[in-house]
Amino acid sequence: MKSSSVLLTGATGAVGSELLRRLCARKETTVNALVRRGSARQPDIAGILGDMESIARVVVLEGDLRQGPTLGLADIDLDALARETTHIVHCGGSTSFTLPLSEARALNVGGTQAILDFARRCDNLQCVALFSTVYVSGKRSGGFSEDDFGDAGMGFVNSYEHSKAEMEELVLDAMHDLPVLLLRLSTVAGDSNTGMVRGFNAIHHAIRLVYNGLAPMIPGDPDECVDIVSSDFVADAALHLIDHGDTGVFHLASGAESSSSLADLIAGTVDSLVRFRPAWRKRAIEKPLIVDLDTYDLFVRSVEEAGNEVMLDATRSISTFAYQLAHPKLFDTARTRAALDGSRIAPGRALEFYPRVVKYCLDSSWGTRPC
Amino acid sequence: MDRATDYETGIDAIAEYLPERVVTLGELDAAGLLGGSAAVLASFGFEGVHLAGEESNVDMAIAAAGKLFAENEIDRDEIGVVLYATALTSSSTMWNAGSASALNGAPESVLELSEVSDLFRYPASRLQAELQLRNAAVIGVNQLGCASIFAALRLARAMIVAEDDLKSVLCVSADKFPPSHKRDLIYNVVSDGACAALVRRGAARNRIVECTHVTKGALWDSGSLENEILAAYFPTAKALIERTLDKAGLTIDDIALVIPHNVSLRSWQILGRLIGCPLERIFTENISRVGHTVASDNLLNLRRAAESGRIKRGDHLLLFTFGYGLNWACMILEH
Repeated sequence: MKSSSVLLTGATGAVGSELLRRLCARKETTVNALVRRGSARQPDIAGILGDMESIARVVVLEGDLRQGPTLGLADIDLDALARETTHIVHCGGSTSFTLPLSEARALNVGGTQAILDFARRCDNLQCVALFSTVYVSGKRSGGFSEDDFGDAGMGFVNSYEHSKAEMEELVLDAMHDLPVLLLRLSTVAGDSNTGMVRGFNAIHHAIRLVYNGLAPMIPGDPDECVDIVSSDFVADAALHLIDHGDTGVFHLASGAESSSSLADLIAGTVDSLVRFRPAWRKRAIEKPLIVDLDTYDLFVRSVEEAGNEVMLDATRSISTFAYQLAHPKLFDTARTRAALDGSRIAPGRALEFYPRVVKYCLDSSWGTRPC
Repeated sequence: MDRATDYETGIDAIAEYLPERVVTLGELDAAGLLGGSAAVLASFGFEGVHLAGEESNVDMAIAAAGKLFAENEIDRDEIGVVLYATALTSSSTMWNAGSASALNGAPESVLELSEVSDLFRYPASRLQAELQLRNAAVIGVNQLGCASIFAALRLARAMIVAEDDLKSVLCVSADKFPPSHKRDLIYNVVSDGACAALVRRGAARNRIVECTHVTKGALWDSGSLENEILAAYFPTAKALIERTLDKAGLTIDDIALVIPHNVSLRSWQILGRLIGCPLERIFTENISRVGHTVASDNLLNLRRAAESGRIKRGDHLLLFTFGYGLNWACMILEH
């Protein structure tokens, strides 16, 4: 990506912020970071860059993807942006699991449509990289390859998966006329070296529930693979693929080689809590049970009937992603591994970096205090 | 030496006392004695509970033990120890709420002491006197919530094994809920009641094969830690039951019948799945009819199960309960 102009959306998110830091370290690069108008993201971007010296030129553009192909920009700005943009990296959208489907669609499908429409105006475009999720596979079980699409009629666990699968239908069409790189992410846990989490998601909420002793059970199979990746792997791999002009679908996932079993991940959570908060052991909290879906459903139904608000919040929080565990699957990463071959970029073994993520959650009190 | 088979200590006789008065969930609700929804409690398996009237906790204990002696040929002089197990703090005193209740009178405090000497008036001693158990030393077993009778049975077996001249221990449990207070606690409905069991060397039935008990003192404050208690219940229960089976060299498939506490049918529907025991092998018939009699559930259910013909000689039975404090207790018997 030499002498490039990158339009980056979602620059303050878990993945976008990692990409921003890496792009800012590049010479002859302009980063146009599109942030939502009125969202006060400029200070966030300054915070992400921290004390690093930005070599690239960073421009913050206030716009709004919900306004369609204009991206919420004035015509003159839009024309200039279209002329100079060589790469689009679209990380924007919603990663919430609990939005109503209509809202998730507006952000994830509508936002992607806006980006693709804009991309068609860019004469110098070399790549449009779009971020999706491996969980577009929904309630499928078994293998899910980089050539597979959608839920195969099995349905989805939450509106995030559903909206992203619909977004991929747009992307599939766009592959005919645009240099599309579709990057399906696994669950991004945090930085593999520091454990730092820039975007707290379901896995971090689950760690908090275990810490608080409010996670008695989750559905799944103890031996099933849980796919989590580090944010630095995702950012490094994405930029490598973009730099090399790759197009098509790639899974930025740990795959069979680096995943851990559900049982090991839960044990790793408890071990880490004990290791980094020795006083936690005094609370005598048991590991969450791994149970079949019917048992979990019965428990959730009981909590709902009882109307206990705290337990209700806890089960809702778990349920937004836990039902995915009841549909075990393995994400094939053959194409990604081939493309990254020789780059020394690879997903680390989940259980090796995961304890650092747990520590970061504890030290930062889940992002509520600096550390 | 295998201590269990050497001494063959078991529960030779069981009796219970349940107050005559039965009150439905609807009546409790109308009297303001339910904190939660009657409909939810009904869906969790409850219909009604027994309410004590004039009788005190000690009266109920005496009635249960009296029934035990009336129904069985027991030489009272063979009883060397009485273990008086109570869950409610008030039950280890001579407190008697009498007939006052929200259903028919003014509320009153749990403990009303007029003299400091009241603190030294013990129901266990009165029980020994009323039952004329002249050779029995009395010991109170408390601070384990609903698991108190399990602790008493465990101690009884251990004492018989340890003391050659001790042949029988009478275990008694009685709890009377404060009449003016709401009767649903963490989604179960509390009934008044008492039970008595004779643990005897060379018992003809109910050999105590294994006893286990775990306390999680971190969860002692039941008032402020209700959610944590709810979350801890199932993982700890599963772990303890599996540990008990393992210690006994059994699997859940070896258990002919689980004799449960009456802390909601729903909880057993879930726990049964967790331990791999179908609901048909859990004796849940009493939950709706009787409610949760604090510490007396399991013995009351064991007696009913035997009377109903659900169990036969030699069957392995698994008893499990849970009590504030926070305690989980499990026992395996050979009927």
